[in-house]
Amino acid sequence: MDELTTRLEAYLSKKLGAPSLRVSDLARIPGGASRETYRFRARYAGAKGEIERALILRRDPPASLIETERTTEFRAYQAFHRLGLPVPEPIALELGPEALERPFFVMEEITGCEVASILNPDPYGPHREKVGKQFWSVLGRIAAADVEAIGLADLEGTRDPREAGRHEVARWEKVIAEDEREPQPIARAAIRWLKRNPPPPAQKISVVHGDYRTGNFLFDAGGTIRAILDWEMAHLGDPLEDLAWALDPLWAHGDPSHPAGLIARTDAIRLWEASSGLKADPAALAWWEIFASLKGLAIWISAACEYTEGRNTDAVNAFSGWYCLAFHNKVLAERLGT
Amino acid sequence: MKPEVDQILGLSAGQLTGTIAPLLPTVFAQGSASLLGFMMMFAAQEYDRAADIRVAENGDLRALFREAAPLVGDHDLKIALSRAAETRDDSLKVSMLDTANVELRRVLIRLQVHAEDNTMRALERRIWDVLRASAERRLLRLA
Repeated sequence: MDELTTRLEAYLSKKLGAPSLRVSDLARIPGGASRETYRFRARYAGAKGEIERALILRRDPPASLIETERTTEFRAYQAFHRLGLPVPEPIALELGPEALERPFFVMEEITGCEVASILNPDPYGPHREKVGKQFWSVLGRIAAADVEAIGLADLEGTRDPREAGRHEVARWEKVIAEDEREPQPIARAAIRWLKRNPPPPAQKISVVHGDYRTGNFLFDAGGTIRAILDWEMAHLGDPLEDLAWALDPLWAHGDPSHPAGLIARTDAIRLWEASSGLKADPAALAWWEIFASLKGLAIWISAACEYTEGRNTDAVNAFSGWYCLAFHNKVLAERLGT
Repeated sequence: MKPEVDQILGLSAGQLTGTIAPLLPTVFAQGSASLLGFMMMFAAQEYDRAADIRVAENGDLRALFREAAPLVGDHDLKIALSRAAETRDDSLKVSMLDTANVELRRVLIRLQVHAEDNTMRALERRIWDVLRASAERRLLRLA
């Protein structure tokens, strides 16, 4: 950790033009298997005296859960921070190996907050309704954002509303084909079903967060959502994709009638519609919910592959390959086979 | 063998998450230790049921293939179904059961594609019955 502190200090001194900058309290924190996440403090002399900032370093691991594009993640933080959504301020992005051996970025740390675990049956306590209203409304605001106006019109994905479903199925089918180490009959059946029953065209093309769910946002002790995190799978597509992913039973803390462990499903959808200005057509949403579980399977298959082949032996990959994979197989078997 | 493997894993998981993890110096170490505890808990579940799950699933698949073989028109698939239906689990080693399961699942995917392409609704429903039972059996419990 001492060497990482020294190298980070050297990098930020130059980047921020602050020769006196000192890094302290560098400590790794949980942040998923797709990036190594560290918190630290940076102290340096500013125009009006000493500045102390709480910052986060997100560095690529030797192998990640999903091969994600850190430039995309950084640009999404920039765009939605500027738009006034609860998103940490991004500070610096580095793609080369010179500074810290692997690509990384630095952003503001949102302090004094909690993140809900899917293993916690009641993570929000008395703030369930308050957090719920914000959670679904913020997702609607992401859907409502104009991709041109926020400078993200060139993200990966499709600009063709008729292609949104097909594009995403192809993307995740490829992941499964590359990473499955044993036959996956339910995933294969789901892919065939999704192709045979395409969804209606998207109402608009939006930035899709890609992993908007329990565990990827911070809330404070008063129940205010302070940060939407983990934009690494952001892309252009049908905003119903995000809604369906957030509604998935895996994040429901055991009660799918209250997705994400928050407010009732009907209220969640109503709030999303009000905030986004879009409609959640039931048939289209049903297609995207099948897709969400298939996308989950693809991610868990990929995680299991990383662990099995020793590229990333973080226990979260083993957990994903066992618990999450079995969970989504059951969800899809019930949805498609009943 | 007393204590049994699942008991050792379960109790160790409890000690790791309940006693040791809170004493660790960093949030990352605490979280990692707790997750390892969960995996040990899952491993305890799997120790007891792994062979049972695989034997039941392999048996279901062979029974399905026996029923389906006379119904399919594709000659190669008919042969594959008949051959797969006649296989047996001669060993209860999980690795051997898994090897057999992989081959059976490959045939299952071919059969399901055939049923879908030829609109064999009753066969499709029968296949989903087997898949639902398999998914239910393999689900891991958090508590």
